[in-house]
Amino acid sequence: QYNPEPPPPPYNHFTNLREILNKVLSRHQDLKTDGFSLDTCRSMVAVMDNDTNGKLGFEEFKYLWNNIKKWQCVYKQYDTNQAGAVGRAQLPEALRAAGFHLKEELCQVIMRRYASEDGSMDFNNFISCLVRLDSMFGTFKSLDQNGSGQIKVTIDDWLQLTMYS
Amino acid sequence: MAGMAEALAKERAAALGAGRHGHAVPYLGQRFGELRQECLQAGRLFHDPSFPAGPAALGYNELGPSSFKTRGVEWRRPTELCASPQFIAGGATRTDICQGALGDCWLLAAIASLTLNEEILARVVPNDQSFQDEYAGIFHFQFWQYGEWVDVVVDDRLPTKNGELLFVHSAEGSEFWSALLEKAYAKLNGSYEALSGGTTTEGFEDFTGGIAEWYELQKAPPNLFKIIQKALEKGSLLGCSIDITSAAETEAVTSQKLVKGHAYSVTGAEEVNFRGSVQKLIRIRNPWGEVEWTGKWNDNCPNWSGVDPEVRERLTRRHEDGEFWMAFNDFLRHYSRLEICNLTPDTLASDRYKKWSLLKLDGNWRRGATAGGCRNYPNTFWTNPQYLIKLEEEDEDPDDPERGCTFLIGLIQKHRRKQRKMGEDMHTIGFAIYEVPPEFSGQTNIHLSKNFFLTNKAREKSNTFINLREVLNRFKLPAGEYIIVPSTFEPNKNGDFCLRVFSEKNADSKVIDDEIEANFDETEISEDDIEPSFKKLFGQLAGSDAEISAFELRSILNKIMAKRQDIKSDGFSIETCKIMVDMLDNDGSGKLGLKEFHTLWTKIQKYQKIYREIDVDKSGTMNSYEMRRALEAAGFKLNCQLHQIIVARFADEDLIIDFDNFVRCLIRLETLFKMFRKLDTEKTGTIELNLVTWLCFTVI
Repeated sequence: QYNPEPPPPPYNHFTNLREILNKVLSRHQDLKTDGFSLDTCRSMVAVMDNDTNGKLGFEEFKYLWNNIKKWQCVYKQYDTNQAGAVGRAQLPEALRAAGFHLKEELCQVIMRRYASEDGSMDFNNFISCLVRLDSMFGTFKSLDQNGSGQIKVTIDDWLQLTMYS
Repeated sequence: MAGMAEALAKERAAALGAGRHGHAVPYLGQRFGELRQECLQAGRLFHDPSFPAGPAALGYNELGPSSFKTRGVEWRRPTELCASPQFIAGGATRTDICQGALGDCWLLAAIASLTLNEEILARVVPNDQSFQDEYAGIFHFQFWQYGEWVDVVVDDRLPTKNGELLFVHSAEGSEFWSALLEKAYAKLNGSYEALSGGTTTEGFEDFTGGIAEWYELQKAPPNLFKIIQKALEKGSLLGCSIDITSAAETEAVTSQKLVKGHAYSVTGAEEVNFRGSVQKLIRIRNPWGEVEWTGKWNDNCPNWSGVDPEVRERLTRRHEDGEFWMAFNDFLRHYSRLEICNLTPDTLASDRYKKWSLLKLDGNWRRGATAGGCRNYPNTFWTNPQYLIKLEEEDEDPDDPERGCTFLIGLIQKHRRKQRKMGEDMHTIGFAIYEVPPEFSGQTNIHLSKNFFLTNKAREKSNTFINLREVLNRFKLPAGEYIIVPSTFEPNKNGDFCLRVFSEKNADSKVIDDEIEANFDETEISEDDIEPSFKKLFGQLAGSDAEISAFELRSILNKIMAKRQDIKSDGFSIETCKIMVDMLDNDGSGKLGLKEFHTLWTKIQKYQKIYREIDVDKSGTMNSYEMRRALEAAGFKLNCQLHQIIVARFADEDLIIDFDNFVRCLIRLETLFKMFRKLDTEKTGTIELNLVTWLCFTVI
């Protein structure tokens, strides 16, 4: 089972993060996965890192850890035929169960970016996609401080926010 | 947990005034007023979850959980230690600060100097708190941290041993502002132990936001006594100490009862008439509250009988309070260093003082991108952040024959004390100043290149590169434009810094950076322009549907890449292929047609050429410091911050950017520029997005 608390540091660099997460995953026999790819780990560090030093602090790591814990339950639930992937048809519902109610338009974009050739999504991509979604929701919220539903960004802001993800 | 958005949100808040004094940023988001109100309503005393009263708050090594020094420590609230605790009794005084079992005398000396100036003290120790009115076990203090003021709350559980405070305490025993202030400062730095060892200047700066200079007393300027008197009049904070030659000498007491390796504060400087001649005297305070100088002019020295009784009465207190007078000559002989903290215009509210003008610039060094190291590393030195200062008016100093603009430059590294328990410590830092060549005058959008630094000598430099929190020097230069390049000694050291320029007269400053720009080829070609051989090839690759998916693209490109010897590559990742398809796929099919594939192929060939050209040592890979040039060759000009982001995202641990990541970076940049331009129809430079649009653009 997952430990209730995250392991102690260091875990901050993306290669290191990958090692730690995959070690934990390997203990889950019922979770069909080859583990996290290096790219996913890079992306996970990138979307949470706020000072471009390529490292996560303890709080950030804890946040990530808890989310992965939560989302792997969702994944298991929707990997209905134990194929090691969530099928195209189940995907919108699986994302909903993970807390994201998305318009069809956005689902399409996500499919193009994260699904494999047959339209299904494996564990690595499923988590990668949710971490990105969660973080981009957060980004929007933190920039929309008056709650107007609109954010304004300059080209500097835009690149800064989107290149590192 | 919003990554770069957090940095951006902070930047925006700072532009609206957050972090200036009076708008202190609540440290860790904890707001004193709200927390105290909650506790009062719930009828409980505050427990600070972000600095729990336990072993970790004490330290990690000498004060670590299983150390001798922390055995038997109990955390107690002042209300449990004495019958009627006071926050401040009879005004904060220098005797409220007696050192405990922690080597933070540098801090205590700074606190002691603080008590001499009511105005400054009230900024650090807000007077809206006490053990009587609205007491809820919570207190707060405000510190200057690298350019902004932060408000730090603590609960009042203090470490004790046998019913006595372990660390700083007041001579009164029932007064707690100093112990709580120390706790708040420990919280800010991660633990009490993190406060061990430092210079008084560090404490001075954190209490005032000022800038601190020091003098070696063996090489004291002839007008030093005047400087000290002026500084005291100006409300500057002063500290002094005696150097030690080995650790064993720490706190060794000389035969005349001066403590070595210990931080004292200077509290007065007076000239008195002594038997017909003028005697220069200096008043010094030992933060221990005891152990005083026994040489000439000590509290009981017969010399005092030769001084006018009225003056004598005013100057001496004649008891063991840690404060004593000595002759200025003796001071120069016995002490090694004097530290003076100059205050900023916003600290010195009163018009009495002559004020400095202040410029503040924040920046960072990032491994592989902007951590270029010093001039000894010409290949990377130029990648360091660069700042332009414009000195406009010369000093008005009729006594000084040398004309020019006097200014102080302070380069301060951020957050290093806090990282000590992770095995980090201060970096070795310094800076160099260059004259702006006439052809660059007035420009701020060009980051100076490697060649500039190879052919131009620094006009001035910091005295040394040193592993202190701050490097500071005083300069006098003719009016004009100068570029400051702050750096660590060796390249590849991650760090954050704040550069401050204090000038006697007005000065102006700018960050010198490349203006963001993108020039890429967007010409559409028609199918007729495509060579027949390419069409034929495409037909074979695309198969019956005459389109190429990201998955097909990957296998095609990798087959081609495998044949190349001059570029080392493990081939393209599926992620890169997906974003390539995404950028070029005009009809939303998720696949590339003939024209789109042709465009992509042309781009990849161009990128290959750039990658090969930048790879000077023909290693087949590219070093991250070369990325700036490579991006420029591909048509992108970016600022330091974006270069840092790119290296953090696309370089590997050895700072290599492989071809896949290089292409991925370029494609992503181009896509992002295109998106922005599409939304910025009026070319205002700002786009507005709603949540759905935002997500559609950013989840890819």
